[in-house]
Formats: sequence, C-alpha cells, structure tokens
Amino acid sequence: MIQYPSLRTIHLLCGVFAAPALLLYGISAVQMAHNKWFTMKPSVTEIQLPMRPGLTDGRQMAQEVMGGRGIRGDITSVRKTPAGLEARVTVPGTVHEIRYESVTGQVAVKTSVAGFMGMLNRLHHAAGLSHEYVPLRLWGVLAALVSLAILGLGATGIWMWWLRKQERRWGLILLTANLMYALTLLVMMRAAGP
Amino acid sequence: MTWAIRKIHIYAGLLTFAQLMIYGIAGVVAALYPGGERPKVPQSVRYVPFTVPPSSTDKEVAALAFTTLNLPMARPVPDWYLRHTADNHLLLDFYNVNGIRRVVVLEKEGRLRLEEIHNSLGLFLEDIHAATPGDAGAPRLVHLWACWNEFAMWTLLSFCVSGLWLWLAARPSYAWAWALLAGGSACIAVLWSVFR
Repeated sequence: MIQYPSLRTIHLLCGVFAAPALLLYGISAVQMAHNKWFTMKPSVTEIQLPMRPGLTDGRQMAQEVMGGRGIRGDITSVRKTPAGLEARVTVPGTVHEIRYESVTGQVAVKTSVAGFMGMLNRLHHAAGLSHEYVPLRLWGVLAALVSLAILGLGATGIWMWWLRKQERRWGLILLTANLMYALTLLVMMRAAGP
Repeated sequence: MTWAIRKIHIYAGLLTFAQLMIYGIAGVVAALYPGGERPKVPQSVRYVPFTVPPSSTDKEVAALAFTTLNLPMARPVPDWYLRHTADNHLLLDFYNVNGIRRVVVLEKEGRLRLEEIHNSLGLFLEDIHAATPGDAGAPRLVHLWACWNEFAMWTLLSFCVSGLWLWLAARPSYAWAWALLAGGSACIAVLWSVFR
C-alpha cells in the first residue's frame, strides 16, 4: 500500500512536469471556446520560384522545394491540378501551400504564419507518433507523457483525498455529483448512436 | 491562505474529476490515432422510403432528409458540405461525437440509404473533450456536457496556479520537482523554437 507522502510526491512530480503543457492546453482551450476574444489572423507571404518543368510526382516536387527553401514540416497533402501539382507542408503554426505549374515549372509558395494564440492552438492539435518530421513526433511523445501525467494526477489526487479524512464528506458529495452528471450524459450521448 | 487554496484545489478536482480524466484519455487517444484517421467503413446499412419533391434543390432535399430521418444528435448538413457520389446521388454526412450517419439520396429508387459509421469509445472521448458551450448548434446533450467542460477548462488553468502555490508552500527546495518543471518547460521551449 502506497503511503500518503509517496502519493503526494508522485502527484507533485506529475504536476510540475505537466504544468507548462497544461498551461498551454488550458490557454488554447480558452481561445477555442471563446474565439471572439482573440485575433487569430495569420501573416501571409507569397514567393515565386523557378523549377524544372514536367514533374509529375507531387511529393518529390514538395521535397525539392522544401530542400531549396529550407522549409521544414510534414507534407500533409499532395494533389494533381489541371495546371500541375499542389502540396501542403505544415508545422504547428505555419502552413506552406505549394503550387507547381507543369508546363513552365513555375512554383508559388504561400506561407501563413500564425501569431502567438494561433501557435498555441496548433500545438494543442498536434499529436500522434507517426509524423515524418521528427520534432513533430517528439511533440507527440511529449503530449502523450503529459496525458499520462494528467491520469497520474487524477489517480493520486483521488487516492490522497480518500486518505485525508477531513475533506471526505464534502468531497464525496462533489465527486458523486460530478460522476453522476458526467456518466449520465456520456451514456445518453453514446446511446444516441450511430 | 495555503489552507484555503488546498481545500479549493481538492474540491475543484473532485468536482471536475471525470472531465480531467477525459482530457488525459483524449491525449492518449490522440497519440495513438493521429488526426484524420477515423473509421470509414459502415457497420450497418438500412433503407428509408423517401420521395424527392419535383424541381427541388439539393439544399431543399437535404433539409427534407434531415427532418424525415430526425436522427438523434444530428444537425443539418451545411450548404457548403453538400456533395455527390460518383453516381451523382446527393450525399449527406451527419456527424456527431459517435461517428457519421451517411445518407445517400436514391431519388429514382424513392428511398434513402443510411450507413452508420461508428467511432470507438476512445475517439468518442477525444471528441467530447473538445465540446464548448459556444457551439450554438450543438445538440442539447452535448451542450449540457460542454457547460461542465467549460468549468473544467477554467479549473485546469487554476490548478496550474494553485498546484504551484501548494508545492512552493510545502516543499520549495525539492530538487526533483524543480528539475521536472525545468524539463517540461525546456521541452516546450525547444520544440516551440524549432517549429517557429
């Protein structure tokens, strides 16, 4: 049986590790919930580049442009257009839209860079361990660790509360209210299908 | 002061326990299912009789299909999302937190094909963690959830402050805590600068 001091230490360590990320997630959640409070307009620039004509592989075209311009990130979409090819390269907070004309070889790169709140928003949504771009994969690892820390905070928090007898009565009322409300709604929503 | 902050910290945590756990689960699910990778295969298909009024537009047909089916937790398909299948049948995707009800309007057959694509429990929790009361068109159940979710969001932010206070009040010289705070902060700072 883990004793109260050990639980408190685990709770503290989970909390301090996750605190900066939780601040990031919390502030970006406020931005998403109250979008009108914030200005989210990105700054947009566009440049033209010459390239050899006749490319047919969108991914290869995007990689050549990325290599030539020092653009980093995940190639999130590639498609053929009547004029040539289009690709989209993203990292949190920045989107590069690359348009290539097959006949002339002309490339247009439109870059949108989000401001501070836009960056928080994009980092909130960045997750997953299967990105091509290594820093994004590392961010995915960090997000997963922070998520586990939240679960650790919850588990140790509830255990400590139970061991602390002075808050047990009111705590039980609040916890029951929360669980009843949450579980009732979750079951009802889930039952609505599909 | 510290006594009061500890009480608030504990009670607020208990009052938002379910939501905070869902935030954690949502993060784990997001790590395992990168964005966009959602189920696409229908688990069930059924047909509903449906007559398309003559000379009606896609928008009108979509509205009629919506009221005819009266699907739970559905909202009308926005005009910009009206699409057609390869056979040129009107295609309507009714999204909710459980998945998609995909409706194909089979005008000549006088019926609707209703396909149900089911999200796993993990994806359901990932979607529901993002519910916000600001979503005016959300179904009533989702809105009720979103109200408590909003409270949990502010509570989570307040935990960052109250948690740090309680730590510094009780064990300000605990080196491992400083090390982990520095580590967590450094990870974010370094990756932020790389992305910029």
